[in-house]
Formats: sequence, C-alpha cells, structure tokens
Amino acid sequence: MEKNYLGEFEELVLTMVGILGEEAYGNAIVQEIETKLNRKVNLSAVHVTLYRLEDKNLVNSSMGGATTTRGGRRKRYFKITNTGLSLLHDMQEQRTELWKLLPTLKFSTI
Amino acid sequence: MNDPRPPKLAEKLLLRFIKEDLAEEVLGDLDEKYYSVLEKHPKKANRNYWYQVLNYIRPFALKKTKSKYSKLTIMFNNNFKVAWRSMKRQKMYSAIKIGGFSIGIMVCLLILLYINDDLSYDQQYQEKHRVYRLVNHMNDPTDTERWTSFSPAIKKVLESDYPEIETVGRLIPFDWFNGGNNQMRPEGQDIITYEEGFMYADPELLDILEVQMVYGSTENALSNPKSILISEDKASKYFPGENPIGKTIILNEDTAAHYTIGGVMKNFPKNSHLQTDFLLTLVGEEFWPGEQSSWCCSNYNTYLRLYDGSNPTQLESKLLSIRDNHLVPHFRQRGNLWADELEKFYSIELQGVTDIHLRSTDIHSEFSKGDITMVWLFGIIAIIVLALASINFINLSTAKSANRAKEVGLRKVIGSGKSTLVFQFLTESILYSLVSFILAIILAVILLPYFNIIAEKSLSIPFLEWWFIPLIIASAVIIGVISGVYPAFYLTAFKPLSVLRGDTSRGSKSAGLRSVLVVFQFTASILLIIGAVVVNEQMNYITRKKVGFDKDQILIIHGTNTLGQKAESFKNEIKQLSSVEEVSYSNSLPVEGTMRNNNQFWIEGTSTTKEGVGAQIWGVDEDYVKTMGFKVVMGKDFDPTLTTGNPILINQTMAKELGVEDPIGVLVTNKFEPPYRIVGVIEDFHYETMRDEILSLCLRLQGGNSLAAVRFNPQNVDETLSKATEIWEQFAPNQAIRYSFMDEKFNAMYKDVQRTSRIFNIFSILAVFVACTGLFGLSGFMAEQRRKEISIRKVLGASVHSIFRLLSSNFIRLVLISFVIAAPIGYHYLEKWLEDFEYRIPLSWGFIAMAGGIGLLVALITVSFESLKAGFQNPVQGLRSE
Repeated sequence: MEKNYLGEFEELVLTMVGILGEEAYGNAIVQEIETKLNRKVNLSAVHVTLYRLEDKNLVNSSMGGATTTRGGRRKRYFKITNTGLSLLHDMQEQRTELWKLLPTLKFSTI
Repeated sequence: MNDPRPPKLAEKLLLRFIKEDLAEEVLGDLDEKYYSVLEKHPKKANRNYWYQVLNYIRPFALKKTKSKYSKLTIMFNNNFKVAWRSMKRQKMYSAIKIGGFSIGIMVCLLILLYINDDLSYDQQYQEKHRVYRLVNHMNDPTDTERWTSFSPAIKKVLESDYPEIETVGRLIPFDWFNGGNNQMRPEGQDIITYEEGFMYADPELLDILEVQMVYGSTENALSNPKSILISEDKASKYFPGENPIGKTIILNEDTAAHYTIGGVMKNFPKNSHLQTDFLLTLVGEEFWPGEQSSWCCSNYNTYLRLYDGSNPTQLESKLLSIRDNHLVPHFRQRGNLWADELEKFYSIELQGVTDIHLRSTDIHSEFSKGDITMVWLFGIIAIIVLALASINFINLSTAKSANRAKEVGLRKVIGSGKSTLVFQFLTESILYSLVSFILAIILAVILLPYFNIIAEKSLSIPFLEWWFIPLIIASAVIIGVISGVYPAFYLTAFKPLSVLRGDTSRGSKSAGLRSVLVVFQFTASILLIIGAVVVNEQMNYITRKKVGFDKDQILIIHGTNTLGQKAESFKNEIKQLSSVEEVSYSNSLPVEGTMRNNNQFWIEGTSTTKEGVGAQIWGVDEDYVKTMGFKVVMGKDFDPTLTTGNPILINQTMAKELGVEDPIGVLVTNKFEPPYRIVGVIEDFHYETMRDEILSLCLRLQGGNSLAAVRFNPQNVDETLSKATEIWEQFAPNQAIRYSFMDEKFNAMYKDVQRTSRIFNIFSILAVFVACTGLFGLSGFMAEQRRKEISIRKVLGASVHSIFRLLSSNFIRLVLISFVIAAPIGYHYLEKWLEDFEYRIPLSWGFIAMAGGIGLLVALITVSFESLKAGFQNPVQGLRSE
C-alpha cells in the first residue's frame, strides 16, 4: 500500500481541483483559495504542488484551447483522478474517526 | 496612454530560466493574475508580477543547465574534442609543446617558491615598520665599509638624547666571553654537551624583536643578572616535560658561568635573520672595568624601535651628534688619528629590520644572509625559461599550421566567424597550458626534495593556501592565452578558397618571425651557458688556489679548553700517535667559525703621530706555524725556550703596512698590553674567503687553547681518528669528542657561492633543454616538409652529407647570430660579477667562445637527429605516395 496521506497544502490543492471540476487550472485555483479561504498563495507554489500531485498520479492534466484573454496563451487544465478522489475520501474518514476520540472540550476558569 | 502591460523585463527573465514546456501556461496564469491585481490595486500589479516571477526560481521549474540545446556548451565540447584529437594525432609535437611548457612552469614554480621564501624573512614582526638596526657607515672615497657593531655606551645615549626612539636593545651575536659555542650542562646532570650560538642580549631586545614566550615573560626573562633564556627545543631536550624556570645551567665547567633560566622562548621562525637557542642577559654584565660606559670597543649590534610617525632619515642626521660628541672626542683624547677619519667619513644609518636578510651583502655581520641580486637573477631566469617554452609553443603551432589549414577552411565555408575560430584555437592552447600545469606541479612535487637539498631550504608547495589553486588556474589561462593568441590569429587568417583549392601555405610565411624567436631562444641559452661556464671556473679557481697552508691534512679537535689543567698532557698523548706529525693549540684557524678580533697596532712610540695598522691578533702556541705549514720568510719561528719579551710573528701584509724595511726586532704596541717584539715574518695565507683581501695578522704566544689542530699522515685517517677519540675519552669521559677536518671547513666557507652556482647550472641546463626541444621540433618539421624534395635530391645522387648541410645550415646560422648577440652582453655582466672577488680568474674571450661552442654543439646535435634521419631515408618512401 502506498502512503495514504498528503501534506496540508497538497490536500488543499487536490480538493480545489476536485471542486473546480472542468475549470481547474493554476490561476483559477489560486483565486478559489483566495475567495473561499481568504488565504494568499503564490502561483508558483500552486504550480509546484500540481505537478507533484500529477507525479503521484492523483491528478492528470491536458492543455486547453487557445484563449483571447491571457495573451492568447493556452491553459493547462488539471482533473482529479479516481485515485485522488479515493485518497481524499480515506483521509476524510480517518479524520472523522479521530474526531470521535477527542473528548468534549470543557473550558473552566481557575 | 498605453494600457498597462506586465513588465517585459520580468517576462524575459522568466523565459530565460524556466523550462520551455512550462513557459506557456505559467505566462498565461501570470498574465491573468496581473490583470486581476491591476483591477484592485493598480500600483501593486507590477511589483506582484515580479514577485511571482522570482518565486518561480525553484528546482521544478528551472531549465536543466546541461541542456542538450545550449549552443555554447556544444561548441565548447567540440573545441575540446578537436583539440584533444589534434593533440593525439601529432604525438611528438604535442609532447614537445607540453613537455617544454611543463618544464618551464616547473622551473618557474620552484624559483618562485625560492624567491618567496627569501622575501618572507623578518616579515613576522607586527611593528616591523618601526624596528631598525643601526649600521656604521664609513664613506671613505677609496673604500666604503659598513658594519654593525657599536660601542656599549651607545645605548644610554640613544635612550636619553633622542625622543623619537622608544626602545633600544643590544645583542652580541658572536664568540665573546660566554657567547658563541659552549660546553654546557644543567646543574645536577653529568653529561656535558656542546651547544652552539649563545648570544648576549639586552632584555629590551625581546620586546623589540617580539620574541614569543612559552614560559615566563619578555619583561622578566632576562631582567636579572646571570639569567639565560632558552628555546623551546632546548628546554625539551634538557628538561623534558617541565617548566625549567629557576634551574641553573653551567657553561664550560666554569664557576663564574652559572646561569639561571629566566624563561623559555618559542624557536625563532626559520625565516628570521636572528637564529639562536640561548640568550644570555647583558644586565649586570661588564666585561672589564669601565666597559659599559666606554666608547673604545665596538661589539654590540644595536636594534631600535622608534615611536610611530618618527622619521628615520631625520634621526639618521641627528645621530651624527654621537660621532661628534662621543666617538671623535674619545679617539682624539687618546691621540688616535682614527678620529680625523671618523669626522670626515663616518655616519650611522638605520636599516629596517625587513631589509636585514636581503639587503646586507656589503655589511659585515654575523648573520647568514641572502642577496637581493640573486632574487632578481633567479626571477629573470624563471621568466626566460617560461618565455622559451612559450616560444616553442608559438613556433610549433604556426609551423604545423598546414595541417590545420583545411580544417579552418572548411569551418569558414560552413559559416563560422573569425572570432569563433580564434576562440577555438585559444581553447586549444589553454588546454595545452592546463595539461602542462598539472604535469609541472607533479614534476615539482617529485623534484622539490632534491631542490631543497641543493638550495638548502625547506620549501613546500602551498597547496592548502587559499590563493594557490585559483592562482595556478589563473596563470594557466593567462599563459595559455599569451602563447595562443598569435597562432590563433595566424591560423584563422587563412582564406578558405585558397586553402581548399590545395594552395597550402605550409606555414612558411611566418618563417621570419620564427627565426627571430629562435634567435631569442638561443641568445638566452648561450647567455646562461656563458654564465655557468665562468661561474664554475671561478669556483674551481677559488677552491684549488694555493692558500698558503696545508689544509688537507689537518684534523681540528674542538672544545679542548674544557680539559683545563690536563690540556698539556692531552696534547702530548696525541702527539705520541704514530700517524700524528704535529699538534698545536689555538683559538683561531684560517677557516670561518673560529675566533677573530681586530686591534690597532703602532710601532712603539708612534701612536700619536701615525695611523695605526688594523690587524688580527691570534693566540697560538709555539707549534702553530709547524702544524699549519706556514712558511717563515724572515726571522725565525717561535723559540719554545724563549717565551719572554712578548714575541710575535706577523704576516707579510702587516710588515708592508707597518712600513719598516727590516721588521725583525721591532717593538709594536696595541696600547692594552706591554709592547710585542716581532721575531719573524710569515708568508701571507688566506684566512678569510677569497672575496676578501688578505689583511694584516699577527700571532702571539699566550692565550688560546679552545682548538687543537692535529697534523696527521693522511694515509690512515680512520685509525688516527679512533685513537684520538680513545685518548679524548680518557681525559673527558662525560663529553663527546668534537672534531672536523680543515679542508671540509675550508670548503664550507664557499658554500653559498657553490650553492648559487649549482642552482644556476641546473636552471641553465633546463633552459637550454627547453630551447633545444623547440629546435628539435622545428627541424623535424622542416625535414618532413621537404621530404619529397630530399627524396628527389637523393635519387639524383645527393649525399647524406649534402642533405644534412642543406637542412641544418639555416639553424646553425641562427645560432651563430645568437652567439654574436649574447657574447658582449655576457661579457659585460660577468665582468661585473667577478669584480666582487679579490682573487679571480681573468675573463677571457676563451670562455665566451667555449660557451658559444657548447651552444652550437648542442644545437647541432639537436638538429642533426632529424636531418640525418631525412638524409638516410629511402627515397622510395618519400615518393611512392603519389
């Protein structure tokens, strides 16, 4: 069995790729993270992560058609694979299991 | 106004480093991002873009540096490949180029190490710029002299009268009371050991010369009377593993010479002019009543440290007041005419401490010294050898250009520009130079131990110094470029059309330049040969010249003064040996390292009206003249039965200087002792090196038994030695015998000259060798080029002899031209060198002709190899290819 966990940022990017579906490319992911989580990230950081995920076979990519905006340059679209999706599921389940073990927090003043 | 656009420069930068297959999407994303930022914060957009771009400098996005697509690296690799191939194809020429180069570089490296070592002397003092040594200067128009010893009283005067002087320290670095060489033992131990180089010093000297301490401090080590400072080496020899401060050392079994150790100093660095293991204090020392405050006798080397910012030249002129207020009055008072001389010609100079080693050749002092002119000479040789090797490179590269002409033509046709071609050939010469450097360093590592033995140094290659490797690489590149630049431009100037059509210029166009370079090479070589021949002749002359005594059969036993009362019976026992002819006690012998002094003598009654005669006076016994084999030319030798009335023997020079017709019976005085009566005159003999004239000398009968000179029959040296050792052990069981042979000691006096001449010889031979390899290559090339012509000549009936003449006459002519240039230059400089010797060979043209002959012969042999090969070859071989 391969390792079935991801780093925090990898997990985040992978989730975003899943959320955006057909429209997942570098800048879109950055924007999405910014709007949904109000968190600033670097394009290059996202890029590195995307390629790392692709190496791990969790996403695959293909070049899109020519555009009129961005100086006519094409986009590289990323799509989550089945392995990626099931890994996300696994991680989610593990986390819920763990959550159950956490005692109810009580706050008290001394 | 233009619409805002992402910064162009940043885009360019990104494209420069980012992987090509990533570029499109990344640029696109960056664009989008740029415009979205622009909407919200127009001012931030550019900055943000830059920031994002710079963030892409990460391993995943970068181009592979060894990308297959870089044109520059391809070219570079190709250049190397071509260079390597051409190197391999012409093995002999490459070997000559590289071999000559590496020998040249090795010679350079060794010489640079040698020079560097000489230049590093006395650089270790932190305050070196204000430490000076005093030097006496007598600027007599007929004979200038410089020496370093001063009167003891000078210290107080310097300290009190000259505000710019911070500290004064005196040193007695020679044989003087307990200074010099001693038989010593620590109190409580029995074994007596011979130690050399005891010196007297003021405590201040430790501070001035920044002596490093192991135990004790520079302030206290010599501050008590009768204290001694010893080196780390000697401390661990006599007191291993303990702090010896407070222990006592006894010199020569003398109750008055008990010294207490006041400290231990680190050994002096090898490159310090001062080398000693034992410093005796001058505190509380007065060698005779009133000595310390007198101006009569100069025995003290004097060192100063000035205050920061004081002007040494000004101080020098102020120091004249020492002459006027102290020295001149002292001698005038005593009616000594020396006072007038002093007043006219004398001055005191300050010599910087860093100049002591290299700039003291004309100063009489006790320290071994180098010679700045030698440093220059060797430096020049290094450059010459390197130039010779570079010339080989240039000559062979241009000569062999025919082989490369087609390559150049083809490259040009395909479209390569001149600069790329020049770059290619420079790469090639740099490659040669790098290979040569590596070889040279390997050679130097192998040869350095031998060089150290010859040069008497302990040099090492400073691999670990931070500057060494970069320096080597930089010089390899520079030398590669220098020697490659002419061939590179020469080779790239070929016109592709004529070359490819088969119009081979065959490298003959540059024949003129090549001839000039060969002439230069041989001029330098012949100069070096002339130098080597003359230096060797002079050395032979000196070591074989009759010196006036029998140096070959005399054994010297040292340290006989420690025998005390038993000395006389020791002498008798030695004399009993069958192989021993004579034995004599004295302090002084005509070799270096024995006692010397200087006195003024007057004929009794003339000391106020005449100038004195400066002369050595040696204490000997009545057998001295017989033992040494001196010839008595007037009067008689000492009479053993007649020792009263102070008889002395003088040498011929002194007789002449005294200016009396018949010196026998004349009374002379030095004003210290009762007058001496001259009983005989002995023939002059050399007692200093032959650089110096023979000076006045007299022998007297008392005082002096530190050396026993034993004249023996040279047929059984070993037996004499072993028997003498036996006898010595009976007399001095705790002390090893110490002996030497006079001829060895004598030769040792010329060690520095011999060493220089040996180094000079070796480098000259190497230089000539390098020049010859070049000539060898060239002659081979000529023979190869004219192969067909020679074959046809042979078919038509030419003899080997005529072909040999055909091929070598041109080279021989060049060598003759070189000789004509070199001869007068060599004559001039060698005449100057020989002037330094009081006894020298005449510089005849014979030597020059001989050197020229050697040069010519060497060149002829070199050339003849290839020429004869061409002459003997079967003409079929040269012709059948067509």
